[in-house]
Parts: sequence; C-alpha cells; structure tokens
Amino acid sequence: MKFIFKSVIGLLLIFILSACGGNDENTVALYTHNDEGEMQAFASALEEETGVNIDILRMSSEASWSRIDAEYPNVGADMQWGMLHSFALIATEEDMLESYHSPTWDDVPAEFKDPDGKWYGWSYWFNVLAINDDLLDELGLDKPESWEDLLDPQYKGEIVLPDPGTSGTAFLFVSAIMQIMGEEEGWEYLKKLDENVGQYSQSGSAPAQMVAQGEYAIGITWDQAVFDRMDEGYPISAVIPEEGVGFDLDVAWIFKDADNKEAAKKVIDFIGSDEGMGLASEFRSMVTKPGMSAELDFDPNFIDYDAVWAAENRERIMEEFQNKFN
Amino acid sequence: MSTLRGAIKAKARPRIEPGFAVAAIIIAALLILFILAPVLAVLLRSFGVGTGELTFQYYAQFFQSASYFRAFINSISAGLISTSIIIMISIPFALYVTRSKSMLSKVYRGIGLLPLVAPPFIFSLALIILFGRRGVVTDWINSITGLEISIYGFWGVVIAQVLGYFPVAYMMIESSLRSINPTVENASQDLGASQMKTIRSVTLPLAGTAILKAGLIVFVMALADFSNPLIIGGGESFLASDAFLLVTGRQNLEMAAVLGVFLIMPSLLVFLFQTYLLKDHETASTNNSSAQNNPLNSKVKSFVFSISTLMVLFISLMFIMVILGAFVQIIGINNTFTLSHFSDQSGWNFLWNSVVVSFFAALIASGLGILQGYLSVRKNIPAKKFLEFIALFGLAVPGTVMGIGYVLIFNGPPLFLTGTVLLLVLNMAFRKIGVGLESGISNLQQIDKSMEEASSDLGAGPYRTIWRVVVPLLTPAFMAGFVYTFMTAMVSVSSVIFLISPGNNLAAAYILNLADQAAIGRASAMSFILILIVLACMGLLKFIEKRSKLSV
Repeated sequence: MKFIFKSVIGLLLIFILSACGGNDENTVALYTHNDEGEMQAFASALEEETGVNIDILRMSSEASWSRIDAEYPNVGADMQWGMLHSFALIATEEDMLESYHSPTWDDVPAEFKDPDGKWYGWSYWFNVLAINDDLLDELGLDKPESWEDLLDPQYKGEIVLPDPGTSGTAFLFVSAIMQIMGEEEGWEYLKKLDENVGQYSQSGSAPAQMVAQGEYAIGITWDQAVFDRMDEGYPISAVIPEEGVGFDLDVAWIFKDADNKEAAKKVIDFIGSDEGMGLASEFRSMVTKPGMSAELDFDPNFIDYDAVWAAENRERIMEEFQNKFN
Repeated sequence: MSTLRGAIKAKARPRIEPGFAVAAIIIAALLILFILAPVLAVLLRSFGVGTGELTFQYYAQFFQSASYFRAFINSISAGLISTSIIIMISIPFALYVTRSKSMLSKVYRGIGLLPLVAPPFIFSLALIILFGRRGVVTDWINSITGLEISIYGFWGVVIAQVLGYFPVAYMMIESSLRSINPTVENASQDLGASQMKTIRSVTLPLAGTAILKAGLIVFVMALADFSNPLIIGGGESFLASDAFLLVTGRQNLEMAAVLGVFLIMPSLLVFLFQTYLLKDHETASTNNSSAQNNPLNSKVKSFVFSISTLMVLFISLMFIMVILGAFVQIIGINNTFTLSHFSDQSGWNFLWNSVVVSFFAALIASGLGILQGYLSVRKNIPAKKFLEFIALFGLAVPGTVMGIGYVLIFNGPPLFLTGTVLLLVLNMAFRKIGVGLESGISNLQQIDKSMEEASSDLGAGPYRTIWRVVVPLLTPAFMAGFVYTFMTAMVSVSSVIFLISPGNNLAAAYILNLADQAAIGRASAMSFILILIVLACMGLLKFIEKRSKLSV
C-alpha cells in the first residue's frame, strides 16, 4: 500500500517539475502552414543562432486563419511563420499585426515586405502539377501540359486536388484560375475539372505525396512538395502548365497582442538574416533575399498574380466554391 | 445493482460531514461546468444563440444541403455496418478464447485487444498502404482478376472502424461468456441438443444483454469516429469529420453545432436506453463458477477458430505494416532500412506532453470518479442520480461535440482556458470520469458497510475511516479506472484536436497532422513509439499493483 502512494507521489513530483519548465521568455509560440520537417530544421538553427526556442502548431493555411480570426484579440500564438500573402493583407487591414522594422531585412526589396514592417515575405512558392511518370505510362495516359489538358476525360479519377476549404495551395490555384480565365470561365473550368478529380485532400502537400506513392497519377500542389519527393527518390516530376501558375509570397508576422514580442522580433531578424535565408533556400526554390536562391533550371512561367484581388475576393470565392462542390 | 442501491437509500439518510458536503458541491460544480455546459453550449449555438439571433436557419441549411444530410446518412450507416460486422466477429472470437485452454488462445486474446493501445486512425494508414489505389494487395488482386478496387471512401472507413473498435465489443462479450455457468449448457446438451444449437439457443441468449450493450457502445463510438473519415474517407462526408472541418477550416461554429446535435442525438438515445431500460438478466449465471467450461466440439471449434484466426491475422498485418512503415525509407517504394523517421524532435516533445496530460487526466478521472461513487453510495448526497447521469453521459458524448463545446465556452472571458495544458487535462478527465464512477460504485457494493461501521465504532472519525479503511479497499477500482483512462487518453484525438496550441500539442493529434501531410514514415514511427509507451506504462502499473499487494 505504501509503495503505491510513494510511487504516485514520486511520479506526481516529476510531472509537476517537468510541466513547470519551459514557457520562459525565450520561447515563442507560433502558428505555421509550413511542413513539419522544414520547421524542425528552422527551429534548431534558430535556437543555435539566437537562443530562442519556438513552439510550433502546424495547420493548413485556412485552418490557421480561421483559428486566428476566432481567437483575435487573444491569439494563442506570438507570431506566424509561413502564411499566405493574402492573409497578411487582410490581417494588416484589420490591424491585427505589430509593426517592427527589422535591420536584417534592409536589403530585401520593398515589394516583399510591408512598408510599416507588419509582415515580411521570406520566400516564394507556386502551384505545380505533380506527375507520376511511371503510373502515366502504365495507365497509357498522356503527360498533361496545361490546365486545359486536365479536363481530358482520360484523366477521370486520376487527379487529386486539395480542398480550398482548408488548403492555401488550393486557394492559390482557384484564384489563379479565376485570374487567368476570368471568373465565369474559371467556374466553368473548375466544374469540368471536378468530374476528373478522384479525391480532395486536406493539406496542399498531400497531393504530391499521394502521387509519389502512386495513389493517383496527377496532383495539383506546390513546388517544394514535389521537389522534396523527387529528392527522396519517388518517381515523380513537376509540370508547369502552359497558361502559367499563380505564385504566392510566404510571409511571417508578429501579432499585435503577442506576449513575447522581444523574442518574436529576434525570430523575424533571424528569418531575414543570411543564415535564415540560406537555410530557407535549402527548402524553397526561391527566397526573397537577393542572391540567396539557387538558379531555377526551368521557367516557372508566373502569371501576374494579384494577391490583393485574391484577398478582397477570398470570402466570396470560397463560399461559392463550397456551394458548388460540397 | 439498482436494487442494492435502492436498499441503501432506504436506510435513514446519514448525516453528511461538512468535508464530504464540500466535496460533493465541488464535484457537482465541476461536472456541470466540464460536461453539461459544453454540450448545452453546442445545442444553443446550433440555434444561433451567441450570434445575436435565435434562428432555425442552420437546421434548414442542414436539410437543404445534400452534403450535410449525406454526412448524417453515411455516419449512421457506417456505424450500423461496422457494429454488425464487429459483433459477428466478436462472438466466435470470444467463444474460441473462453473455451480453449491452449497458449494460442491467450496470444489471440492479446492480439485481439491490441488495437486499444493504438491511435484509432493508424489502421487507415495501414489500409492505404495495402489496399490503396496502387497498394500491394490491390495490385495483386488487379493482376489476377482485373478488378480495380479502391479503399478510399465509405467502405474504407467501415473496415478501419471494424479494426479499431473490435476490442471494445470483444472484451464485453468475452467477460459475459466467462460468467455463464457451464451447467446450463450441459443440461441442454444432456437433453440432446447439439452444441451448435446449445450455443444458439442457450449461450447467446444468456449473453444477449452483454452483446446488445457491446453493440450499442461500439455503434456510438463508430458514429463519433472522426479521424478515419479524414484519412481514408476520400472526401466522403461524415458528421464528425465535417463538423471538425467546419470549425477549423471555415469557422462556421453554428453549422458545426448542428452537425454536433445530430451526432449527439443517437448517442443520447443509446445512452438512455442502455442506462435505464436495459436490465441485466444474467440470472442463470454465476460469477465464480468453479465448474469447467464446456469445451467446443471439433466442428464448432474449427468454425470459431477460423474466424478468429482471420481476424488475428488481419490485426497483425495492420500492426506489421505500421512497424515496417516506421523502419523503411518509403514503404512500398524504397524499402531500405532507416531510423531517420525517429529523429523527430517535436514528435518526442509531444509524446512527453501526452504522457503528462494523460497521467493527470487519469488521476483526476479515476480519483474524482471514485470519490463521487463513494459520496453517492455511502453518503447519499442530494441529486446523486442526476450527478451520476452527467458523469456517465460524459462517456457517451462524441469527442467532436465535446471539443466544439469547450471551444465555445473556454475561448473567452470569464473562463479563458484555451491553449492551456489544464484545459487538455480537464477535457480528457471529465470525458472519462464515468469510468471511475462506475468502477467505484461496483467496488463499493462488494464491500460490506460493516467494515466502516467497525472503524467508527472503534473511535475513528469519518475522515480517518475513509483514509484508513475505504481508500485501501478501493485501490483496485482506482487502478482499473486509472489504467483505462490513461490508455484511452494517450490515443484519443477527436476532442483535444480543438484545444491544442503551440507547445501544448499532443502525440495523437500530431500523428493525425503528419498523416494529413501524407508523411507515412514519420506517422508510423510516432505511432509505433506511442504504442510502445502505452504498453510500457500499463506494464509498469501492473508491476506497481503486484508490488503493492505484496507489501500490504
């Protein structure tokens, strides 16, 4: 009997001690839509350079935004590291963000950061098609070269698309299609595409992984999700559709109500530093600091993507999408 | 059970000592705040309360939208089909295990219970690896028969649910079969009935209540299943997963609340039916039957044995896939051995968080539950039936509904608890407090009250009596409640997924997120470690239990 109480009390003490550790002023809580693997590399480099620890909660872009919007003004994180440009514009509009002029960002061109220092764009990402070449051969399908090609009935059930209800990748795709084709034709396009879609996934990276594993032949996803799978040895390739693709600035910001602004500022400084940008360039095809990105060996064929338009029309488009396709 | 409680009630109401009265009030307040209030909040929100207007528009939307109604139909039918399959497998499985003395039957029992210690959705991952559109088995079937099968969608969810919830039904049916007195079966067979007929017309009817109960509980669990539809549902709508996506993706709490109401109604009906209408009628059974169990004849045995073997092989296959997935680069594509999936720093932190949160949740659920049981049985506190109802109801509320309710109540003043570890602990503890309560009540009814009376006659005060006499006697109930709550808290995800925050993430929720990013290797590695931790903790508890019995 005594043994039980001793062991229970001993365990209790251990847990209480461990639970009280952490949460000091050198720990920053952040939300992100970046993949876990990438964030872990950032976290350890950040700790080494600045001594700041980060606690991460990863959610897809829409889930992140939905949570921020619900929690504001008591957002459960100090900052965001990795988010859609459009949401940065909305958050600035709604005055949710803290101004901070970070010295390490001086040589980053003005177009990639907010003039008041409310948000900082650290990298670019863009839509690509993930293609499983082996599977295409096996199924006897042609390699698609344009968005238009995807409507071909031969691809029926072989395309996986993230759900714009949760995924920022899908939102970029949908709003880029609207900007390329015009709204009316855009909806017509999505309606036809829907007939070929085998599955809607939650996260924007999932289609690349599913195509890599041979679950589906074609995935609509973003650049790095495909390049990472290629590096890991999966039989997949990236295709940039002929009509061009939407690109988005990946941004970081500090919340106005952050508990731990000083440490969060150090994180912003780190992201803009040569070390931070160098590390980011290992994970992303393009970072915003001049001279840090490796040369792309293909033409990304960007459209003149209008993030402001996307921010302004986001809610309307999302609602219509849900009504049409859910 | 109820007659016994009634007998106690009939005695003169004992005076409640102030300490116990305070404890009763605190427990009542906690039960109302952490179980009843969240559910009511969901109900109110579904009518728009809190948004400034009282409206039925969300219900109108529910019935007008093909997708929401379909979610309802899908959830109900998946639940019914999974439950039927589970019961049909559980009965022969339990017959085999209870009637066989071989080592093999013990191994089967262990494997049959194994899914309890795993996050409920890992079977979806394993199923995709094997039966996905280009899975190992799919290719094989395709090359032989030319059939194109796809595991994504409704049937994938059903299979994953069968695997995940099988142990719950199996455990209940097994224990009821064990308690049946073999002489009844002997009588039937002596009168000339075949063993098959005896099982059908004597044994199963005797276990009927337990089987029905098992079916109802599994049905409620399957209905509330939210993670399998997310991973393997292939975009098919289900109530719990849709409610989750409505909250996280679109912040539509009102519509999510409506789905929650439709989720909770069947659960509530099942709960009421089971608690108040379903009477145990195991009159012919004796608990400590010394008589030998009826061994099965070879015909019946080969039948139940083959079904059990198929199930055991299937469960083992799923676990093997998870373990393989954890130790190779990319399962199915690049099968070289690697340990890289285990070098996941945040994953390890979240595992530790899970252990801490589950430990405290189990402590509270079991301790408080038993205290409530004691107050209820011995001290005859006012409104005890109502408080018991709330505590047991907590077990039946689908996790998604509870999670949404917690978001509604604790995400703002005056009770701003969102993002704290405390809220995670409280959520898990109060969802499971009914387990402690039930095991406390049944344990107390086995203890004669004269022990406590003797203690007070000898001059011990009421608190001294409870500490020196009642607490030691209730230790088995405490341990049972603790182990069960700890185990389920470690792997549960449907409710806490709404409450996690940076730094307070939990392993099961993290694995679900990895699965969502289709990072199968790391998801498998984390699941593997989680399973090992749960098994190790249970082993440790068993060890402590043994040691303490020796030292008493």
